[in-house]
Amino acid sequence: MIRSLVGGSIILPAILNDLLAADGGGSAGLAPRSPHFPPKAKRVIFLYMTGGVSHLDTFDPKPRLLADGGKPVSDNPGAARYLPPGWAFKPGGKCGTEVSDLFPHIRECMDDICLVRSMRGDHNDHFQATLGMHTGSVSFARPSIGSWVSYGLGTENTNLPSFVALAPELPYAGTQVFGSDFLPGVHAGTRVLAGKEPIANLVRRAPSAKIQEFELSLLDRFNRKHQLARPVDPALVARMKSFETAAGMQMAMPDVLDLAQESDATLALYGLERGSTKGFAWQCLVARRLVERGVRFVELIDVGSHDNWDAHGDMATHAPLARNVDRPIAGLLRDLKGRGLLEETLVVWTTEFGRTPNTDGPKGRSHHSSAFSSWLAGGGVKAGIAYGATDDYGRLVAENAVHVHDFHATILHLLGFDHEKLVFRHAGRDFRLTDVHGNVVRELLT
Amino acid sequence: MSTRSLSFGLVLSALAAGILYAEEKPAFSAGQIDFFEKKIRPVLVKQCYKCHSETEKVKGGLLLDSRAGVRQGGETGPALVLGKPDQSLLIQAIRYSDEDLQMPPKHRLTPEQVKDFEEWVKMGAPDPREGKVPAKEGIDYADARKLWSFQPLQNTPVPAVKEAGWPRGDLDRFILARLDERGLRPNRDADKRTLLRRATYNLTGLPPTIEETREFLADQSPEAFAKVVERLLASPAYGEKWGRHWLDVVRYADTSGCNSDFPIPSAYRYRNYVVEAFNRDLPYDEFLREQIAGDLLPAANDEEHFRKIIGTGYLAIARRFGSRAKEFHLTLEDLLDNLGKATLGLSLGCARCHDHKFDPIPTGDYYALYGIFESSRFAFPGTEIYRHTKDFTPLVPEPEASKFLAEAREAAELDDKIENLKNEKKRLAREEKKAAEEATPKLSEAAAVQLVDAKDPAKPKRTAVDAEQDLEAARARQEELEKTADRVPKAYSVMDGTGRNAAVQKKGDPAAKGEEVPRGFLTVLGGQKVPAEELGSGRRQLAAWITAPSNPLTARVMVNRIWQHHFGKGIVKTPNDFGMRGEAPTHPELLDWLAHRFIESGWSIKAMHRLIMLSRTYALSSEENPACSAVDAANTFLWRFERRRLDAEEVRDSFLAVAGTLDRAPGGSHPFPPEGSWRYTQHKPFIADFPTQKRAIYLLQQRIRKQPFLEIFDGADANATTAVRPVSHTPIQALWLMNAELAHAESMNFAERCMAAFSDEPARISHAFELALARPAEPDEIIETQEYLREMTATLNEMQFPPEQHATMAFASFGRVLLSSNEFLFLD
Repeated sequence: MIRSLVGGSIILPAILNDLLAADGGGSAGLAPRSPHFPPKAKRVIFLYMTGGVSHLDTFDPKPRLLADGGKPVSDNPGAARYLPPGWAFKPGGKCGTEVSDLFPHIRECMDDICLVRSMRGDHNDHFQATLGMHTGSVSFARPSIGSWVSYGLGTENTNLPSFVALAPELPYAGTQVFGSDFLPGVHAGTRVLAGKEPIANLVRRAPSAKIQEFELSLLDRFNRKHQLARPVDPALVARMKSFETAAGMQMAMPDVLDLAQESDATLALYGLERGSTKGFAWQCLVARRLVERGVRFVELIDVGSHDNWDAHGDMATHAPLARNVDRPIAGLLRDLKGRGLLEETLVVWTTEFGRTPNTDGPKGRSHHSSAFSSWLAGGGVKAGIAYGATDDYGRLVAENAVHVHDFHATILHLLGFDHEKLVFRHAGRDFRLTDVHGNVVRELLT
Repeated sequence: MSTRSLSFGLVLSALAAGILYAEEKPAFSAGQIDFFEKKIRPVLVKQCYKCHSETEKVKGGLLLDSRAGVRQGGETGPALVLGKPDQSLLIQAIRYSDEDLQMPPKHRLTPEQVKDFEEWVKMGAPDPREGKVPAKEGIDYADARKLWSFQPLQNTPVPAVKEAGWPRGDLDRFILARLDERGLRPNRDADKRTLLRRATYNLTGLPPTIEETREFLADQSPEAFAKVVERLLASPAYGEKWGRHWLDVVRYADTSGCNSDFPIPSAYRYRNYVVEAFNRDLPYDEFLREQIAGDLLPAANDEEHFRKIIGTGYLAIARRFGSRAKEFHLTLEDLLDNLGKATLGLSLGCARCHDHKFDPIPTGDYYALYGIFESSRFAFPGTEIYRHTKDFTPLVPEPEASKFLAEAREAAELDDKIENLKNEKKRLAREEKKAAEEATPKLSEAAAVQLVDAKDPAKPKRTAVDAEQDLEAARARQEELEKTADRVPKAYSVMDGTGRNAAVQKKGDPAAKGEEVPRGFLTVLGGQKVPAEELGSGRRQLAAWITAPSNPLTARVMVNRIWQHHFGKGIVKTPNDFGMRGEAPTHPELLDWLAHRFIESGWSIKAMHRLIMLSRTYALSSEENPACSAVDAANTFLWRFERRRLDAEEVRDSFLAVAGTLDRAPGGSHPFPPEGSWRYTQHKPFIADFPTQKRAIYLLQQRIRKQPFLEIFDGADANATTAVRPVSHTPIQALWLMNAELAHAESMNFAERCMAAFSDEPARISHAFELALARPAEPDEIIETQEYLREMTATLNEMQFPPEQHATMAFASFGRVLLSSNEFLFLD
């Protein structure tokens, strides 16, 4: 119905369609674009664990740490003591990569996962490290990785935002982590929440659909009359089109979120109870539905800036957080694979930093950016490998360090970008996600 | 230009050293050379050349493919200390002992290879390879000063034009001359309604009222428009509109930007200071002086003194970082970056770590300025760990002021004391436990803590219980002080400290101190220093230096901003960048002419508005002209007026204005919780939204999260300077117009206002058009709207809404459409 009002070429003179196609304004900034070279992945699901997941208790087994648990880390009086890993490690999949009992379901998927055990970041505080993992800068506001991808690739479905953030709670540094900063606003992450109003102002406030239709129809008549004397201004057309897209979004988004269409088997895969919109299971299933519909970048943030993985006092607090994400993530990987989507979808699992081998509070660990684990799966990455290593206690990277900038460079590479060439001119110079750093980690690529 | 990261002074010494190495031809034994060829060269070629050789890359300024290159080293210094492997950076790097310096980055050399290199350095690093060292040019200032923007202002003659009747003044002659050159014809003049709507939004950010429109249309005198401009310039709304432009540039926020985004209840005083400064046409040079050094300027009375102190809020609102106070160097970086861009159109930030790659700004200049601000005392807004504010300037007379300052300091210092006591208590408890364990099992715990000080047996040893008591006392005192933290009005501002020069921070690392540089100003613009006899920071001299009429940038940058906000784009399209990478002016002579007029007028911004707005160029219609478009589609030469979308604040304020619900009173402080109650952390940061019917400039501006409405419509970023707001047309904006609570509530108010004004339906409809679009409805529009209202009423009836609501609901529906229309949202 909306299409009949505004869309199509009947009311838009050919010249205007040309203007829009030539990036004249507005939503045209989201037209699909080709990257620098043929990509392995066309879209990204970015799974972000807030608070700093301990690599030592999840993906990086350290027998020595287990053996030396309770011993002081040095001879200094009052030295902190090693805290042994709280969960047993077992091999997973045919590749046999060891993962702890915190992630029994993900462990079964290790043959599809490219694990990096040698991540490094630049900052030991949540706020800065979270910004670093998202924007490449630990201090100053910069565009987020999702907005860079949206800027570089545009979108395949203009009825949905190109970059969606599924974040029930805000992470450290707030909305900056999925903002677009100096990139055009269309590339900012649109926060989608469970519930009645998934996107701000999405729900029709006009008393009925018919009334909204009336309003848009009158609006179109007013706009067309106004346009008669201003026939070639792309901004005016972009604005007219934006109402069409908004109406499309009003219909498309509830459809994305309507999980009634999913089978019991699929829900079981994610561990989602029918009708529930809670937890990471809901986020993962919605993520699949979004990428299926052409959304370019979906970021999932598991929990907010409190009651998260920041286990200073007691590592046991990792358990419920792991339970929240373990089965859903495994389900997502299997579901994507089963539908043939995994080949062209890059799944990223990461956090802001790891945790110390020694105790912090009585039974917890402190922030640790010198070493942590992350993983990739899907389009173009070597599955079933574990890359890099930390030392015997997991304190420092011992080989094949992957800095956050390298991680970003590799993700962009998989999407077909030379990270040194995906730039935006701002304030007199060209900015990139990787600033002046970053090396593609070729060993992770197929 | 140099890409090195050392100070200018160090560059010079490195230069000298480089020459020495390049000329040196040391003698090595055949055995030594053999060792190099067998053990060292192959590893260098295989592992290092990819990033450190002339033929491939030169990362970090380091070349490893020549003897001279190895010895000179890169940005972090010489790679080798001959004979001393432990002091050699290269050895440290391949040993992987320093987490931040590990080479090769991906694959560690084998222990044998590392040993070979150590051996080689011990021998004196025999190396037969000749070859270059990386180029290390200094800055050629004579060459740099050739850039147009560093040239003194030119007093350019006004060009002659063929069509003498067209220009209304000299400004138009500059424009017409360029149009003539390109064979472009300026559009005809815009009609009076269009001009009035354009000017009213331009100066006040609000739509003209029906009365204002009628008055202007009725005034047939030649001065009619000049009268309008004067009326608008005299309106308090003017400062609210133009003050906002300045707040964009200085990235104003009501919160600190630290991890927990602490509220700053007194920041609003600076915001209001800016609004008032524009309203009273404070000369721009004085405006800048007050913002940089207001606290140091003479004042006739307390009131004036306080106002000037509030001006230094500009410095205080620099971003804060971290959860402690340790990242203050980043705050100063943010400040210097902003100061350079805002006042001079130069990006200084690059020079924090290395000489600017494009502009003639060496690292030494950066730290010359840095020292000035490091010698100043900034109000501290509190952070997670140190949550008490200090060094805000109390806006009360003595002795109350000193008393307040001392109390605030005491409360803040107690934060440190409490942290220390907590640690002490923990430590003592641990020691006591250990002592108790080691003592005989019979010894009771009470006896264990009665241990005496080993050095002074007479003095009882301090115990955990003592620490706990002190801790409680400190907390109690703090609580008492918190109760009165809000009792005096205060300013988020800067006070002067003792002048001290800063040392260069190598690679921008505050721990890596280099050479000290005297406090002073940019070399390329004269390089004057803060006089040695100045005991304070030197901010006053800096302010005077920036605002000297001979400074070629300050006036140019500001007139360009004024021009930009009248015509939609600057004469220089990169208003924050007048350096090498910025765009050249489209009308350089006009820019200088305007800058001259600006200085002549006593830096009067309002004088510039008059000059520009009374020009013919400003009055042109925005119509298309295919012939002109073919030559100048981007309208670079201003043959037409540029159509523009309302900005975020204008959209919201217009909804409220036409609905008659806009509260025109100036905004005050936000309703923050009382200061003593703040417990914000990075885990639970301060996040709030304080709705108001006042103008959008008075909405809460946070750094951790953009104000949700302003974000949708491309509002400014409170974290970084915004010189030009991008304009997007997104479905998220359309959804706001269709569904937002505010859009619906105000369209109801709009409907009620129109219906109260007239009982006759066509008159009501026309009234709505006049309110929203500054024109009456045309007959066909009245007919169409009446049909619409009828249909809508029928639908509402079908839906069984109470009949008494139909008329207002239907009219509100029409109002919503009108207020979403392109004619409302765009200015011709």
